[in-house]
Amino acid sequence: MNIFERMQKLDRRWIYIVVALAIIIPLMIPYDSDNVTTPPTENLYQMIDSFAGREDRAILMSFYHDAATMPELFPMEVAILRHAFERKVKVFALTWYPAGAPIIDYALNSVKEEFPDIQSGVDYCNFGYKPQAFAMIMGMGDNIANTMNTDAEGRKLENLPIMKGINNYSELNLVVEFSGSVAGMTWITYARPKFGLNVATGVTAVMAADYYPYLQSGQMIGMLSGLKGAAEYEKLVDVFAAYRDPVIDYRITEDAEGNQILPGRPFGREILEDEASLDLSKITTQTLAKFTDEQYLSFSAKYPEHLALLNSLREVQDGQVVIDVTKITPEMRNEMGEFLYRELNQLTRNTLYKFKVARIGMNAQSVAHIMIILFIVIGNVGYFIQKAREVKN
Amino acid sequence: MSFELFSNLVGAFFTLCIFSFLYKDNPFYQAAEQMLVGISLGYGLVFTFERVFIPYVYQPIIIKHQFILIIPALMGIMYLLRFSRNLSWLSRYPIAFSMMMVGMGVPMGMHASILVQMRQAMVPVETLNLFLILLGTVAVLLYFFFSKAHSGVYGKFVNVGKWYMMIGFGASFGLTVMARISLLIGRIQFLVNDVFGLIK
Repeated sequence: MNIFERMQKLDRRWIYIVVALAIIIPLMIPYDSDNVTTPPTENLYQMIDSFAGREDRAILMSFYHDAATMPELFPMEVAILRHAFERKVKVFALTWYPAGAPIIDYALNSVKEEFPDIQSGVDYCNFGYKPQAFAMIMGMGDNIANTMNTDAEGRKLENLPIMKGINNYSELNLVVEFSGSVAGMTWITYARPKFGLNVATGVTAVMAADYYPYLQSGQMIGMLSGLKGAAEYEKLVDVFAAYRDPVIDYRITEDAEGNQILPGRPFGREILEDEASLDLSKITTQTLAKFTDEQYLSFSAKYPEHLALLNSLREVQDGQVVIDVTKITPEMRNEMGEFLYRELNQLTRNTLYKFKVARIGMNAQSVAHIMIILFIVIGNVGYFIQKAREVKN
Repeated sequence: MSFELFSNLVGAFFTLCIFSFLYKDNPFYQAAEQMLVGISLGYGLVFTFERVFIPYVYQPIIIKHQFILIIPALMGIMYLLRFSRNLSWLSRYPIAFSMMMVGMGVPMGMHASILVQMRQAMVPVETLNLFLILLGTVAVLLYFFFSKAHSGVYGKFVNVGKWYMMIGFGASFGLTVMARISLLIGRIQFLVNDVFGLIK
């Protein structure tokens, strides 16, 4: 038996082992890799970001899936919630599928842990499971509070602070449907033509091909496709929404001219194209908060009462002022307070595991794809050479 | 041992049981498969009762006295009469009622999936992408026009449609592989991070 015959008769379990290793190793040893963002993801990000800080705008997240598609869809949901909570975008969530209700709770609670100021009924509202999708979709176009009536906790919607300025799709101007099916079509078919609602989807990669025609025709404003879409969104949140300028004091909500001060910064293509932005979306553990001399002076000036403590932590590396957060002892943390500690942590650009899970997954995905392509090429080469030999003989 | 660790260990055990099928069929895989079916059914039943029947049928009718809801509830029960040989004809009524949705969907579906798509295919061909879309649309549509033999120049042109479809199937296959690998990644992330992370 020659090598080509052996290749054709290779036990499939060897292939399973190689694919398993190709996935396990990159997951256990994460590395920083670039994740180029695509227009469908960027468009959705920009649309959500355009609602930042506005009382009369909100997004609706529809969770139309169960646990089976969570590996692909859950990171998207977490990334969008994180974006909304960072940039003070009002969020409504619902599901037409009973098994989707616990996933809404899980997603909201996972993200809320990192945002102590975010409150249910004020910054977000969970409608929970609602039956009669069609009637609800049409009814919300007229009046959301009358149609939905209560939230998942049984509170009357009209009494909730989040409803201030929100009546129908004119304000709840974007829906993002997460599903592993064509469920997003319900919004495209009914709500988009009748009410002009902006529709976007977060779908499993299998379904992405079915939705591209609607993206091209402009019926959808954006789409996150599979783990890749989730990884792209995570990167955008890290580079823009979770960005902190050391100079700005985020404890103040308005500047001298009365403009609202929001954490993060608006989307900018030039920022994404700048190689320095790669530093903002690293998935390996980061512990150093880095400043230029001017930035450090402005930053420390915001905390005159902790100046001595900050100076004691200050070091100079490669011409930059750095503070290593691992050197902050529990006593120091008590002394500086939680706000300053969190701000220093944020300036390290260190991302929590739950906010980079799709990017870590994409590392494994890339390696696995290369392996699969290699298998396909080797298998085909072996097949054709063997066939040619048979013809020759 | 915390509850979280215990539940994760149970999850890890059954994940490995299912993965063991990749080696060969075995009693662990079979046990996990049977349990999955049974638990899914039981969970679904209790879950639907708690999240659907209680808040949308029992509470409105019994507690809030919204008796009008008895009508849709009865229509829902009629679905179950399919299992009765004598009364199965009654199940046609809720099915006929739900056909109303199909009627509603036809004009809206025509608009969203056909008219808007056609309009977008008729824009001025100003870029290479738009030309490729036009070429693909015409070639694929002609490929399914069987009143004329696919031969000569016409045959070569409709062959372009076949290539377009091949590329489409390839893209779908690639996306499917990506989705399946993502599911595997999700499970391995669970094993690596949630289970072994807790044990560490």
